[in-house]
Amino acid sequence: MKLIKPFCISILLLLISNVNAQEFKLGKVSIAELQEKAHPKDTAAAAAILYKKGSSRIEYNQNDGFVTVTDVETRIKIYKKEGYSWVTHKVWYYNNSNISEKVSFSDAITYNLVDGKIEKTKLKSEGIFDEVRNKFSGQKKITMPNVKEGSIVEFKYTIRSPARMIREWDFQTSIPVNYSEFVTFVPEYYTFNSRQKGYVFPKMTVEKNNKSIIISSKERVNSGGFTATRTEFSQDKFDYIETKTTYVGENFPAMKDEAFVNNIDNYTSSIQHELSMVKFPNEPLKPFSTDWNSVVKTIYDYETFGPELNRTGYFEDDLKVILANKNSDEEKIMTILNHVKSSVKWNGYYGYDCDNGVRKSYKEKSGNIGDINLMLTAMLRYAGLTANPVLVSTRSNGIPLFPNRTAFNYVIAAVETPNGNILLDATDKFSTPNILPLRTLNWQGRLIRKDGTSEDVDLMPRKPSGDNVFINYTIDNEGKVTGKTRRQCTDYNAMITRDNISGLKEEEYLEKLENENNKIEISEYSRTNEKEILLPIVETYSFTGNNLCEQIGGKIYINPMLFFTNEKNPFKQEVREYPVDFGFPFADKYNITIQIPEGFSVESLPAPAVMTMEDNLGTFKYNIAVSGNSLQLVVAHQINEAIVGTDKYEMLKEYYKAMIAKETEKIVLKRI
Amino acid sequence: MKSPVFALFFLLFTLISSAQKSEYPITTISDSLKENADAVVRLDQTDIIILSQRSLNTKNHWVVTVFNKKGFDGLSAYEFYDKSTSIKNIEAIIYDASGKEIKKIRRKDFKDQSVADGGTLFSDNRYLFLDYTPISYPFTIEFNSEVQTSSTAFIPKWMPLRSYGVSIEKSFLNVIYPADLGFKKKEIQFLGFNIKKITDTNTQLSYNASNILAQKKEDYSPSYRDLFPKVMMGLEHFHLEGVDGTATNWVDFGKWYSEKILSGTTDLPEETKSKIKAFVGDEKDPIKKAKLVYDFVQKKSRYVSIQVGIGGWKPMLATDVDRLGYGDCKALTNYTKALLQAVDVPSYNTVLYGDSYKTNIEADFVAMQGNHMILCIPNGNHYTWLECTSQDDPFGYQGTFTDDRDVLVIKPEGGEIVRTTIYDDKGNTQTDKGNYTIDENGNFSGSLLIVSEGSQYSSKSRIEHLQPTEKEKYYKEYWDNINNLKLDKIVFTNDKENIRFTENIQVSAINYGVIAANKLIFPVDAFNQNANTIKRIRNRKNPFQIQRGYLDSDEIEINLPNGFTIEFLPANYELKGKFGEYKTEIIKKENNKLVYKRSMFLNKGKYSNKEYDEYRLFMEQVSKNDNAKIILAKN
Repeated sequence: MKLIKPFCISILLLLISNVNAQEFKLGKVSIAELQEKAHPKDTAAAAAILYKKGSSRIEYNQNDGFVTVTDVETRIKIYKKEGYSWVTHKVWYYNNSNISEKVSFSDAITYNLVDGKIEKTKLKSEGIFDEVRNKFSGQKKITMPNVKEGSIVEFKYTIRSPARMIREWDFQTSIPVNYSEFVTFVPEYYTFNSRQKGYVFPKMTVEKNNKSIIISSKERVNSGGFTATRTEFSQDKFDYIETKTTYVGENFPAMKDEAFVNNIDNYTSSIQHELSMVKFPNEPLKPFSTDWNSVVKTIYDYETFGPELNRTGYFEDDLKVILANKNSDEEKIMTILNHVKSSVKWNGYYGYDCDNGVRKSYKEKSGNIGDINLMLTAMLRYAGLTANPVLVSTRSNGIPLFPNRTAFNYVIAAVETPNGNILLDATDKFSTPNILPLRTLNWQGRLIRKDGTSEDVDLMPRKPSGDNVFINYTIDNEGKVTGKTRRQCTDYNAMITRDNISGLKEEEYLEKLENENNKIEISEYSRTNEKEILLPIVETYSFTGNNLCEQIGGKIYINPMLFFTNEKNPFKQEVREYPVDFGFPFADKYNITIQIPEGFSVESLPAPAVMTMEDNLGTFKYNIAVSGNSLQLVVAHQINEAIVGTDKYEMLKEYYKAMIAKETEKIVLKRI
Repeated sequence: MKSPVFALFFLLFTLISSAQKSEYPITTISDSLKENADAVVRLDQTDIIILSQRSLNTKNHWVVTVFNKKGFDGLSAYEFYDKSTSIKNIEAIIYDASGKEIKKIRRKDFKDQSVADGGTLFSDNRYLFLDYTPISYPFTIEFNSEVQTSSTAFIPKWMPLRSYGVSIEKSFLNVIYPADLGFKKKEIQFLGFNIKKITDTNTQLSYNASNILAQKKEDYSPSYRDLFPKVMMGLEHFHLEGVDGTATNWVDFGKWYSEKILSGTTDLPEETKSKIKAFVGDEKDPIKKAKLVYDFVQKKSRYVSIQVGIGGWKPMLATDVDRLGYGDCKALTNYTKALLQAVDVPSYNTVLYGDSYKTNIEADFVAMQGNHMILCIPNGNHYTWLECTSQDDPFGYQGTFTDDRDVLVIKPEGGEIVRTTIYDDKGNTQTDKGNYTIDENGNFSGSLLIVSEGSQYSSKSRIEHLQPTEKEKYYKEYWDNINNLKLDKIVFTNDKENIRFTENIQVSAINYGVIAANKLIFPVDAFNQNANTIKRIRNRKNPFQIQRGYLDSDEIEINLPNGFTIEFLPANYELKGKFGEYKTEIIKKENNKLVYKRSMFLNKGKYSNKEYDEYRLFMEQVSKNDNAKIILAKN
């Protein structure tokens, strides 16, 4: 995977170049732009961003100290009706007692070409809406007037924020972007980390300028820089250097989603900024996150993280009881994991730190990810294990490329043992040691020790999860198939199976199983180890099926793997843009014994076959043998990597094609 | 609490309210109610008090035992509010399995959210909903709410059973109303459910329902809205967002709607009037004029839903739509009507339920109904219907969203219930004509013309606007019987005049034919296979229905590879029954050619639960025969 190397930390002077692009200004819509019928590079595009310019400036304000003012202006061309959604725009803003931001739209105009002349329609207040999103934030929305196919819309908005926060800037989106520019203006007192991601990189230039501010009265306060607290009058002039950083990129293609992509956002070109350090004259430096260690320290110092992790009083009495007579580490781990799972339920909210606090969550029996897994870590420590929290970014949150606090949104626990880390998550009923919920399987996490040191932890499973199927079936001379199946799933496959079973009543589940498997009729169904989640789960059942063979011209044709045959290639695309993500490596094995009917003999059999992919990516084995009236088939399909890069896509697609061709080959039986 | 009188009152109040608390251990639920149940309604008490034409108060008090996540997701622990509707009280209490109280959720802990989602840009309507994480199942939840509104045009329906997988111990409805407002009700689908009417006077109506077993959801069932019992209620003298109304029949209702809600909304600037007149030119025929106007609206406008105040019921002014170029269904319908007025073509706003599941306006229950608006134009002895929110629909086409249902046409002289266009089963056609070639390695290449009409037009014409990757995905799913499918050329012709959509496609695929021991085997029907998707259902209980029938006809020429002889050819096949007719035929031609003919006709209809398996087997035969294979042997 191309992406998962962190980009270098330095934000300075990566590239300096002259971007002699056209000058983009609101109001300068040309007739040529209005006449354009399709995007020159992507004729299927329903709309395109002709240009988008943004700037975030940290500037001084008498009343509030340093604030962030973000201006964005854009021009969007609508080629087709399907692009109409692009004339509605939303900007969210914080609105609560801690932080109150203001959003205002201006210069919003729709341009149409009417009889060769440009007609302008301005957006009025009737097309601007302000909505409460929740307790913490609101949202402004606009929808542009008088839009037709061919229209161009332009608008500008400003976000004023009292915090020193620079929002993420996406250079790329689901329609083509012809030109995108983002500029930051940052006074020397603040240092930001920036991280770029995606496949297309904008050019960056850096410029330093001298600035000054005059402050009437007042004194500096520790946190926010210059803030008004006293009423004594005095006037100070401060000189400082402001860094202007410009990112410019052109001709970004539209992003397209594909099957088996973990999160399309990981591949979108964008830039994120995070405040890493504040240093005012005559004040100590205040680091936030410059490297992983300071990121981790900052997080650890949060009231909702470190102190919560160190809280113990609330669970000790309960643990004393359940840990009595538990001597080995394994026993202790399982006892505590089960205790947390059964006593506290996940409320569906993410976060590496606590929402309710561990004590309250324990009492009320529900909490967010942080509440539950920090509690788990604390209990493991109490039991004398070397347990630590591991910060994680979930698949939907994208891959953490760069040291910063907001890269993470999740936490799990790790117990260090001589044989490596045991990773634990108590928020999922079916998760077991080192078998984590799929949402957490996202490259690497960051383990934090008590002493403040930290290290990367590999989250990706290495061991293939098994799916072992035994089938024993008989074909009668009318083509009816009767048999027994035993299916054993291990590790991730077991977790997924338990998950599929858990929400359904047995009758519903069987109905589903019957319908998904060629409408077989199932009887004598049973499960083993449904609740013993450390063990593989086993399902056994008898089945009969009338649709499993074909009788053509007096002969019987049968797919020997019956309803376990892989019939469709999941990789249908000609070209693959992004890596294929299987989630975890796996090994599927089938052991099949077939009794052929009296009065029939084998006319033809598929030939045995073996396929291997380069770099040990995967193997397929197919073996078949006859002895008397019975056939013995062994099939194995194993993929050893959770993530397969685009460079191997062609190979993977060919592998699947050949595998499917082999599995769909039929056995032909003829009358003797 | 300084005043002793207050304190006393407070004490009394708390005493009463604590006395009302009751416990609901799960052990008291009978086994029959637990069967197939994700949740059991222990008690559901709805009290509706209509104090006057402008005052409607609804109290909901229910207690539900929840067995699993599905049961939890099905709870309706929320209330809506807007400018004329206020939530006076909302709270919930959670009990554990033994009936012990474990948590109380007060109003401030309910989440507040706008109802506007992806489809709506902005809405005044908001709702408070319960945000609770179940800590274990089963548990019991008690919910109390009180909602006061000045709008009496909508009295909530009473539906004791609102979803599948829920059984009911007890459910009560009690409605109190003044005698002079013309209260009316309609009971629907009571048969087979244990529902008793307790009181029915000129000021009070009450029912109780008890011991209703959990219902199981089954494919091809009618909607639960048509299967489960309900009571519809309404007033002859009602109020809606500042406007009083009176209606005892559809004529009066239509008049009221025209005069109080619609009037004054269709004015247009003179400039626009002359523009549309010029656009229509010398055309005299009203339908041809309407066609031009519809085209004008489609090019100019887009659908944007904004629901503010009475805007939820009253269309945005036509002048505003003219200026802004957008609006919701009411606004765009009304705007089209205004333009038609300007060129002297009469047309009428039409209220209906828009849904691909055909839903009628209840003709014998005069009250506000429906969720959508279209336009109706008299055309000789019938009507032409216009879907004004679409920028693509052909003139007068109803597709599957508004076809074949009872709707309310609002004429200035009064309202009228009318049936919309019924697309005949035999007119919902797909005609495939083409050919394919198989080479000696089993590789496939072919070309095909697919022509779709009637209600099949609506499912096909949407492909035209898909992005290239989505188009590829569509065809790879449509022909998922052909592995390794490659799309070589796709050309569409959308003939809106005749409402006919044509796909002209060239495809290829390697390994279509499977090779086994000198034999080449492949299904003859490559292009139009009916996948066997009718599920087996154990002990089906509900009737089933086919909402729309169709007729598919295929004629495909097949070129076989040289050097092979035909070892086996599927026999011609014919299947006739009450569900439809199916026929295939293979004709041998010279030069290694075959011609494959197939026709599949499906009737729409309503059938009993017992006939379901018959239908499944009918479709299974069809799909089996569609998959019939030819065997070629190498010479």
